Amino acid sequence: MEHTLMDLWYGFGIAMQPHNLMWSVFGVLVGNLIGVLPGMGALTTISMLLPLTYVIAPVPAILMLAGIFYGSQYGGAIGAILLNLPSHPPHAVTCLDGYPMTRAGKGGTALGITMMCSFFAASVGIIVMIFLSPLLVQVAFKFGPTEICSIMLLGLLAGATMSRGSPLKGVAMTVFGLFCGVVGTDVISGTARYTFDLPDLADGLELGAIFMGLFGIADFLMTVNRNPPTISKAKLSMKDMRPTRAEMKEAFWPMVRGTAVGTLFGAMPGTGPTITTFIAYALERKISKTPEKFGHGMIAGVASPEASSHSKTQVDFIPTMSLGIPGDAVMALILGALVIKGIQPGPQLITEHPDIFWGLIASFWIGNVLLVILNVPMIGVWVRLLRVPYKYLYPAALFFICVGVYSTKSSLFDVGEVAVFGIMGAIFLWLDFPISPIALGFVLGPMLEENFRRAMLLSRGDLAVFIHKPISAWFIGACTLLILAQVWAYVQRVRIVPPPVPGSELIAE
Amino acid sequence: MTAPRRLQTDHVGGALLALMGIAIVVLGLNYRMNTLVRMGAGFIPVVLGVIMTVVGICVALLADRDAPPGQEKGAIRTRHFALPEPPDLRGAVCILGGVAAFVVFAAYGGLIPAAFASVFVAALGDRGNTWKTAAAIGAAMSVFGVLVFHYGLRVQMPLLAWGS
Repeated sequence: MEHTLMDLWYGFGIAMQPHNLMWSVFGVLVGNLIGVLPGMGALTTISMLLPLTYVIAPVPAILMLAGIFYGSQYGGAIGAILLNLPSHPPHAVTCLDGYPMTRAGKGGTALGITMMCSFFAASVGIIVMIFLSPLLVQVAFKFGPTEICSIMLLGLLAGATMSRGSPLKGVAMTVFGLFCGVVGTDVISGTARYTFDLPDLADGLELGAIFMGLFGIADFLMTVNRNPPTISKAKLSMKDMRPTRAEMKEAFWPMVRGTAVGTLFGAMPGTGPTITTFIAYALERKISKTPEKFGHGMIAGVASPEASSHSKTQVDFIPTMSLGIPGDAVMALILGALVIKGIQPGPQLITEHPDIFWGLIASFWIGNVLLVILNVPMIGVWVRLLRVPYKYLYPAALFFICVGVYSTKSSLFDVGEVAVFGIMGAIFLWLDFPISPIALGFVLGPMLEENFRRAMLLSRGDLAVFIHKPISAWFIGACTLLILAQVWAYVQRVRIVPPPVPGSELIAE
Repeated sequence: MTAPRRLQTDHVGGALLALMGIAIVVLGLNYRMNTLVRMGAGFIPVVLGVIMTVVGICVALLADRDAPPGQEKGAIRTRHFALPEPPDLRGAVCILGGVAAFVVFAAYGGLIPAAFASVFVAALGDRGNTWKTAAAIGAAMSVFGVLVFHYGLRVQMPLLAWGS
């Protein structure tokens, strides 16, 4: 306990170093700025700025990325509430009640409530992270290749089946991501795999190129000349943002419940933030005395999902940092950045790189305070920014993406990769496949393969080892439950909803 | 009930997956498989390819849900097809052209031409932009790019190196 507080103090020392603080502030600012812009989520922002991390030291790099992450989450809520534009999927739920509040002239209050909830939830999440991580590490040291394999399997399955859309398609995309991770020289045998004799592919596909292609270019391709953006006429001043005492009271318990939901789900690898916010919203509606008012500007409908997404965000860092298993695509990207920096996330991280771990935790707090301070006076600027037309925005973003990818290795081949993955991403989006499991698969792929091969070597090729080892058996059991639950849900769906009579609309044509 | 089944999203998606899976398996068989104890380089990719093929077939077979008519505007809906709206052609060509322009001009021109060309070409993809606005965004981004990427972040690319 005392030791933990000492570590935390040390972390604040690291985070407050001018150099580190500067990058953290920069990340929060840029994340906030880009998060506000329609059509740009945390993923696009982080992948665009990822190359920046190559030139700076690991600690400020990771602080900056984390800052972008929660900064853009804050920004995303602004777009969702004022414009009904969820630039980041978890905010889709916030739109449901946030936008009606804006239309009722209560947009400022909704934003104020959001800020309050985010700060509260993030603080709780940080505290949980501080006390849970060292415990988790003790368990994590018992993890051999077998256990790592099965928990990764669980994370991948959860990521694949609990994202939006069909679980089967999620699995398909995860496998595609795993395959992308295979491309390049095999670490164990040295064989060049799927490189088509291109020397540029020998080191494997470039993380930044894949992410920017899938989440940047593909998104531009699908959005351009479509969905005319709505223009918000909302005018806001700082005074509007302070909620009244009655509103604070109304928001308090939903905020606490949302935080609890987020914390619970954050500890589970693979459950994305979107599902968390949906569950928090559903819970509020279920226990509310006036469920029919949801969707018409209920404060609880804004407070609870926002709180859950922020506590989830913080707690998500636990499995990412201590086990090396990211909860969602954004975490996968941050993990990738660490790996590029030569730091292997895992149980050793806290002991071997205490500066990164504790500095990061301390910077969360500093960052969240900064966000509150920044957002109160800046809200007028954000509202104006929301009106920047997409037609000016995406060409500029495209250029950033190109330069960003190029600067990674000074390789134009990688820029070509961006285009290829942009096309693939657009095809997948067009065919209604979720794309974030690809990211999860790509980052975990090489680790999964290495650990699986090692586990098989140790067990002399006996697959039953995954069930014989107790920790591993638990994870495999959870995987089985997950699959059974999906199959059950599918069977139920088919039985209840009869397929629409085919041909009925043919007559109309 | 025996109306002709139309080709729809999941048929195409499933087939695409299955094809990719098969391609991965076929290529993967060139590498060493070995045994489960000492897996060769080809083992994991072949397994992944097989899973992908199977999942792809499942996706295609389970594609009996038909999207309700008229829900998405611009979707392709005819007697034989029921597919969502494809990306806008002009937009897509210009966006990919913008990336291509960046590659070409970065290789043979330097940062300034690459910045201008990529932004200009990409901006033309939006039907709301004209030659003039596209050129204006391009010029603005070139200035910004030089300041931030060349002087600020020291990206390894000459500002102007025509023909090299």
